[in-house]
Amino acid sequence: MEEKKEKKKKKLRGPLGFIRDFTYGMATHGMARHALKQRSSMEHLFILITMGDMLGIPILPPYYSLRLLPHVVPQITTWKRRMLREKDLMDSMY
Amino acid sequence: MALVDFFQQYPHRRYLMYGGKGGLGKTTFSAATAYYLAKKGKKVLVFSVDPQASLSDIFERDIFGKGNVEIMENLFACEVDADTRIQAYQEEIRQKIISMYGMKKIPEEIEDYIRASSAEPAMEESAIFDAVVDIVVKGDFDYYIYDLVPLGHALYYLSMASIYDAWLEKITALREQMKEYDKAIATMKREEDTEQDEVYNELMYIKERIGNSSKIMTDTEKTAFFFVLTPEEMTIVDTEKAAQLFARYKVPLSGYIVNRVINRELLKDNIPTYLKNRIEMQVGALEMIDKTFGSSVLSAVPEFDSEIKGLDVIRDLAEVMFEEKLS
Repeated sequence: MEEKKEKKKKKLRGPLGFIRDFTYGMATHGMARHALKQRSSMEHLFILITMGDMLGIPILPPYYSLRLLPHVVPQITTWKRRMLREKDLMDSMY
Repeated sequence: MALVDFFQQYPHRRYLMYGGKGGLGKTTFSAATAYYLAKKGKKVLVFSVDPQASLSDIFERDIFGKGNVEIMENLFACEVDADTRIQAYQEEIRQKIISMYGMKKIPEEIEDYIRASSAEPAMEESAIFDAVVDIVVKGDFDYYIYDLVPLGHALYYLSMASIYDAWLEKITALREQMKEYDKAIATMKREEDTEQDEVYNELMYIKERIGNSSKIMTDTEKTAFFFVLTPEEMTIVDTEKAAQLFARYKVPLSGYIVNRVINRELLKDNIPTYLKNRIEMQVGALEMIDKTFGSSVLSAVPEFDSEIKGLDVIRDLAEVMFEEKLS
C-alpha cells in the first residue's frame, strides 16, 4: 500500500506536478511563509506563558509546566534568544 | 445529629476530611473514624500527605513512604512522601526528554529549570494534591479518610485550582489557534494532515487532574468535611473564619466536632483552682460553640488522661465519638 502511494506521488511530479509547484510558488508560498512565521510566534508565546520563569517571569504551576517541558525542549534556545533580543516584548507577541 | 447518624444518613459520602488548626486532634479523629468504619466491615484507607505526618505515631508503625500499609482487618494507612515523589517526577521528566530526542545528557539550561522547579512555591502543594488524585481515583476502598494538611494549605490549593483553570482555558485556546495554523499550512503546502498535538493532549490531561483534585474537596455528593475545634474562644473564632472561607470555595462542610472537653462533674470534687478555672472557661466556650454552630456540632469528645496512641486507645476514643461499644 505504502509503495503504491509513493508511486502515485511520483507520477504527479510530471508536467502536472510542475504546474502545481509553479502555482504554489507564485501564489501560495508567500502565504505559507507568513503562516509559518505566525505559527512560530505563537509557539514562542506559548512557551513564554508556560515556562516564563526561565526568564525570571514566574507565571504558573511549576508542577504541571514540567509536564510540558519535554515537548518544547528543541525550541527553548531560539525562544530565549528571541525573547531577550526583541526591544519590545509586546511586539513579539503578535 | 450525632456523628454516627451522619454515616447512616449519607452513605455516599466516601471522602472524609477533618480540618482544623494544628494540634487539635485531626489525626486522632481520622484514625478513630477509620477504626470505627473498619470495625463496621468497610474497607478504609486513612492517608496523610503532611511531611510531618503523625499516622505513623498514632498507629505506632513506621509507614512513611511505604504505600498502603494494613493496620488491622479492613483498615489501611498511608503516608505520602511528597519530597521523594517530586524527585521521582523530575527524574521521569528527564528520562522523557532523553528518550524523546535521543540525547545523552540534558542541556544545561533545561536541567537548571528542572532543578529550580522544586524550590518554587506551590510545587509541593501541587505534588501533594496530584498524589491525592492518584490515591483516590484507584477507588479500591469504601472510605477514604484524608488527614488534611493544615487549613492554609488546603485553602491555598483550592484558590490556586481556580486560577489554574482560567490559565489552562487561555493556553488551550492559544494551542487550538496554533493547530488552525498548522492545518492551513499543511493545506497550502499540500501535505498530509498534521500530526497529533502532544502538547494539547498534555494540557487536557493537566486540566483533568486539576479538576479531579479540587473536586475531591468540593464534591457535595461524596465528600464530607468536618471541623475539629476545642472549647477555647480563640479557636472558635478562628474556626468560624475558616469555615466561611471554605464555604466560599464550596467545600461541603458537614459538621463540627469538639475535642478535649474536661468533665464538668469534676467541679463537685475538691479540685485545684487551676483546673476549676479551666473548666469554667470551657463552660463559657461551650456555650459560645452552641450559639455559633448549634446543631452542626456532631460530637463532643472528652479530654483523655493519656495520649491517644495505639489501637486500644483509638478504640476507646471511637467508642466515645460514635457512642457505641466496639468489640
